[in-house]
Amino acid sequence: MSNAIPLAPLPLSRAEAEAMLQRQVKKHHVAVILVHWFNAITWILEVSTGIALISSPLFRVAPDWYVAMFTGLFGGRANLLQFHIALGLTWMFVLLPYGIFGFRNYVSGEMLKVTDKDDIRWLIVRTLKILGKSDEPLPPQGSYNAGQKAFSMVVWFMVPVVMITGVIMAFQLISPAVVGWAVSFHFLAVGMVVAGLVVHVYMGAIFPEERPAFFSMITGTVNELYAYNHHFKWWREVKVAQAAWDKTHETAEEAAASETQEQEPPGEAPA
Amino acid sequence: MKSKITRRRFLGATATASAALAATPALAGPKSHPPAWRGTERVDEIATTCEMCFWRCGVVASVVNGKVVRVKGNPEHPQNQGRLCARGNAGTRLLYDPDRLKTPLLRTGERGAGEFKPVSWDEALDYLADKLLKLRKEHGAESVAFFPHGNGARFFATLMKAYGTPNSAEPSFAQCRGPREVGYSLTFGQGLGSPEPVDLEESKLIVLIGSHLGENVFTSQINAFSTALSRGAKLITVDPRFSTAAAKSDWWLPIRPGTDIALLLAWMNVLVGENLCDTEYLASYATGFDKLAAHVKQFTPEWAAPITDLPIDKIRETARAMGQAKPAVAVHPGRHVTWYGDDTQRARAMAILTALLGSWGRKGGIFLPTPVERGSFELPDFPDSARGRADGAGTRFPLAIEELGVTNGLIDATISGDPYPIKGWIIYGQNVLESIPQPARTIEAMKKLDLVVVVDVLPVDQIQYADLVLPEATYLERYDPPTIVESAKRPFVAVRSPACEPLYDSKPGWWIAKELAKKLDLGDFFPWKTPEEHLATLLAPLELDGKTLLNCGAVSFPGQPYLEDKLPEERTFDTASGKIELYSQDLADIGADPLPRYTPPAEPYKGFVRLIYGRAPMHSFARSQNNAALHALMPENEVWFHPSVAMTFGIANGDRVALENGDGIRSDPVRVRVTEGIRSDCAYMVHGFGQKSKSLRRAGGRGASDNGLMSQVSVDPLTGGTGMRVNFVRPVKA
Amino acid sequence: MVTDLRKCVGCHACTVACNGEWDVPPGEARTRVRMTPLAGSFPELSSSTYVAQCNQCDHPPCIEPCPSGATYQDATGVIRVDQDVCIGCGFCIEACPYEARHISARTKKVDKCDFCAPRIARGAEPACVSTCPANAKHFGDLEDRTGDVHRMVFHDGARRIESASVAPGPNVFYLGDDAHLDLVQASFPPRPPRLITAGETLKRLFKPLVIGVVGLTFLGQAVAFFTQLHKGEGDFDE
Repeated sequence: MSNAIPLAPLPLSRAEAEAMLQRQVKKHHVAVILVHWFNAITWILEVSTGIALISSPLFRVAPDWYVAMFTGLFGGRANLLQFHIALGLTWMFVLLPYGIFGFRNYVSGEMLKVTDKDDIRWLIVRTLKILGKSDEPLPPQGSYNAGQKAFSMVVWFMVPVVMITGVIMAFQLISPAVVGWAVSFHFLAVGMVVAGLVVHVYMGAIFPEERPAFFSMITGTVNELYAYNHHFKWWREVKVAQAAWDKTHETAEEAAASETQEQEPPGEAPA
Repeated sequence: MKSKITRRRFLGATATASAALAATPALAGPKSHPPAWRGTERVDEIATTCEMCFWRCGVVASVVNGKVVRVKGNPEHPQNQGRLCARGNAGTRLLYDPDRLKTPLLRTGERGAGEFKPVSWDEALDYLADKLLKLRKEHGAESVAFFPHGNGARFFATLMKAYGTPNSAEPSFAQCRGPREVGYSLTFGQGLGSPEPVDLEESKLIVLIGSHLGENVFTSQINAFSTALSRGAKLITVDPRFSTAAAKSDWWLPIRPGTDIALLLAWMNVLVGENLCDTEYLASYATGFDKLAAHVKQFTPEWAAPITDLPIDKIRETARAMGQAKPAVAVHPGRHVTWYGDDTQRARAMAILTALLGSWGRKGGIFLPTPVERGSFELPDFPDSARGRADGAGTRFPLAIEELGVTNGLIDATISGDPYPIKGWIIYGQNVLESIPQPARTIEAMKKLDLVVVVDVLPVDQIQYADLVLPEATYLERYDPPTIVESAKRPFVAVRSPACEPLYDSKPGWWIAKELAKKLDLGDFFPWKTPEEHLATLLAPLELDGKTLLNCGAVSFPGQPYLEDKLPEERTFDTASGKIELYSQDLADIGADPLPRYTPPAEPYKGFVRLIYGRAPMHSFARSQNNAALHALMPENEVWFHPSVAMTFGIANGDRVALENGDGIRSDPVRVRVTEGIRSDCAYMVHGFGQKSKSLRRAGGRGASDNGLMSQVSVDPLTGGTGMRVNFVRPVKA
Repeated sequence: MVTDLRKCVGCHACTVACNGEWDVPPGEARTRVRMTPLAGSFPELSSSTYVAQCNQCDHPPCIEPCPSGATYQDATGVIRVDQDVCIGCGFCIEACPYEARHISARTKKVDKCDFCAPRIARGAEPACVSTCPANAKHFGDLEDRTGDVHRMVFHDGARRIESASVAPGPNVFYLGDDAHLDLVQASFPPRPPRLITAGETLKRLFKPLVIGVVGLTFLGQAVAFFTQLHKGEGDFDE
């Protein structure tokens, strides 16, 4: 790869690729990682207890034995409900500041912009490729790919619904009719998130191509080759930012003829 | 004449020691109420006597940490046996009503403006004592009139007698059961008392004349009524309105209002004419049958039918049913009977009917009270009144019972100054603006007074005319004199004792009376130190341990409810002849009809209908409308109109109208109920609503007051009872 | 429970006693006294009182729609609401043919008559039965051949209020003559159980939708997974 930063992904030589494979780029702040796994555990527990809470044969999604098992496990439905509510509120308590402070990033950042041509194309190509029906290269993506962004959109619309309806049900707010509708919408919103989670979990934990992404949720970094191949636009941003940083730094260094400073790439993904 | 009548026992409550009661009370081992536990909370169960109405049912108050959490029926109580009506069950809602009077209040503004300042009890009682002493000095003790109601009033009654005034009158006479007591006394030598001793449960046929049992609910009476019905007793209901009782009746006779005496005479005509009377009974106990038979001969069902607007055959059929069921026929004497001013005569007619059927003192008819002896205190002599009573009891109203008095007589005297000026009123436990008709006159009288004192629990309308308002503790917070009920098949003694400390700065009646007596230098009339001591002394002859009574709430004794329980020589009647007087020489002597005669009531004006009124089972008089639980069940009253009346006036079900009476007086807006269940010549509403006091945050401004529309009364010349069903109304735009 | 409408005078003592016993706020009621409209025309009229409360049905239509399982039938057959599990959604209220359930303003949860189960457990009668001035209410075991309730139902002809279409097997019986009971039945017919719109939406729209969407995504991922297994992981290396 030449010194010039490419505008579009170019084929890499094996040497270049191997060199990039060795270099790590920081992707996630440690807070993001912690929140992610807290979120993951909470969702597992809340969804499994939530399913067990729906005992009505009209609405039930889990079999009898499942409901009975959880009821028994918690020593009664009251405890099960108490646990579900307590954990849900805790989750809200943790997530709310995260969401509120991160909101600007998400809305103004790229997370919610799935409008661009590459993103739509990516979703089609990605699907076809998985099914082995296309050899077309994936269109370049930002720090999050179109699939992640689509999921994130679902989350960003549905999680507030989950929270609001949850609180309404937990404290019987407003009116019985509203509580009644809260039951329905809580179920719907969670259902939509769960549908997204099925893809999210498969892509993140099972699908081999995205394995670096999975590990990045532990280490916080991805290798540059993965970034180049899967998140080219982000890779380029990082590179451009780094070059600019390097340049100003060099100028300053020359002027001051001073010592080197530790370099930090500024292209950290928005939380 | 006067002395002859008053010597007799008009009231069951007048005590005569009886051999029957010498025996020790037969108790099935008095059961006390030990504390119960609710989890780790101690629940004290206090047995006491209800006062949501005046029926005196036994209740148990459950108390947790000094708070009464529940009032329920006392299973050990001989009268209600654990059962309790809606009002009784709502007792805590009175106790914890935030609108209660909280401190003594002294008037600051004009009388009627309702401006007061809170004062201490010391200030209040000093003020009152000064005023009373001044009035006695300047106008004589008789210038102060007393308007009591209920058990607690007896402490004040003693005080007023000691102070020197004979002028005491409660609405339970002239606005309620007075003519009944007199009419039955004239016939049988004794009145009925309260609770009225009607042997409903053993009855084969119940006759209700204007009585609306079911809407008028007294727990034990309803129990007996229902028991009889479920045992197959027949029911005749005479009522212009399709009442709850009418709906359970075998015969509903929707009579033209005011013509009951005509129906009663026609019934007698059939009983006598068809030989359906209890001739053996009459031969043994009654006098004047021949005169009666001759008198009723003319009053055939054919004569009565057009008067009463009832079918001839129904009149005959019901009379025959009575004749067949005798003597177990309960002709209910009614309770509020002051309707048309001829009420003593109507009561006489009902008493005579009862006698013809042989049901006085017989199973299933009217049973007899059993006297209960009671103790007394050694009191100084009460001062004599030289000027006599001002209410006309015994004079203007020759047969009025002096112990109960004539309220309207006192109001007349206050306005006219005749026979002498009345300067002060003390009102205890009643609402004179709702309980006595012609409230405009009552207000006029109150405005003329130098002193108006109201002792009450709630800020009812009348307090705005008071100079001094004294907040009394509710029945759940105070001792009252013991309840001694003789007119029960098993007579009983019961107590009212406090379940908790008085709330706010309210005080029990006994304390107020005793403290005021001290300030008036009449402390000797209250020789007891504590209310427990008062109780023990009064019950001493019964050899009852006060503690036992306090524990179980009530103790009953064997009674002698039927004539057959008595020795033949004891089966006498306290009349001049010693017999049941079908023909009343006493009445003839004072120039009244010795045999009842029908006189047509005033007809409604053209374009008006007669206003009749009654009770709802969830309210007592005008005193329960602010109770949260009862208010929720019935927040306001409705006025009933027959569809044809509604059509005439162009009103529909659910409309809000005002009612205007013949004198142009208008009610507050009230909702219309258009129903087939009422005759087209009358309108009906439940009494007690339309209170104005804004301090009653629930009851204030809800519904319309029937009493406010009673600008006319037809006064019974014999008793002073105010006939109130002589007011005519029409709906007008609200 | 047998309510003798010949005896009942409609005094509301049951309602107030119940309210006091269970701290039910004024204006709400676990048991309610009602009066039928008048039948006939003056002077041939007829009407009856009616005491409505939970009928503790043999086949209670209120249990199925309760999403959380708060409503249940206990060992004695009484329908109860676990206050710790109820979320106050009101699905059961519309399901009740007898309008016997309401949301308590105090707890915001569903409240209803449970035949005073805690009182029964300690050997007392339900509060309404012990307070009834008219002695119109009788409580006992229907199976107990020596009991009053058995006699009233099997010999005196106490009736249930149910119709051909709505017959959940109510366990409150009414005594009275046929004409009055017919009037009560006609005035207060059992209402066909209904699932409220929110529940209907959940049942008919949201539940199939969620199952469909989750199912599809799951299916999609399964296809992907099997493709992955088929192609081998190596193929994805770059």
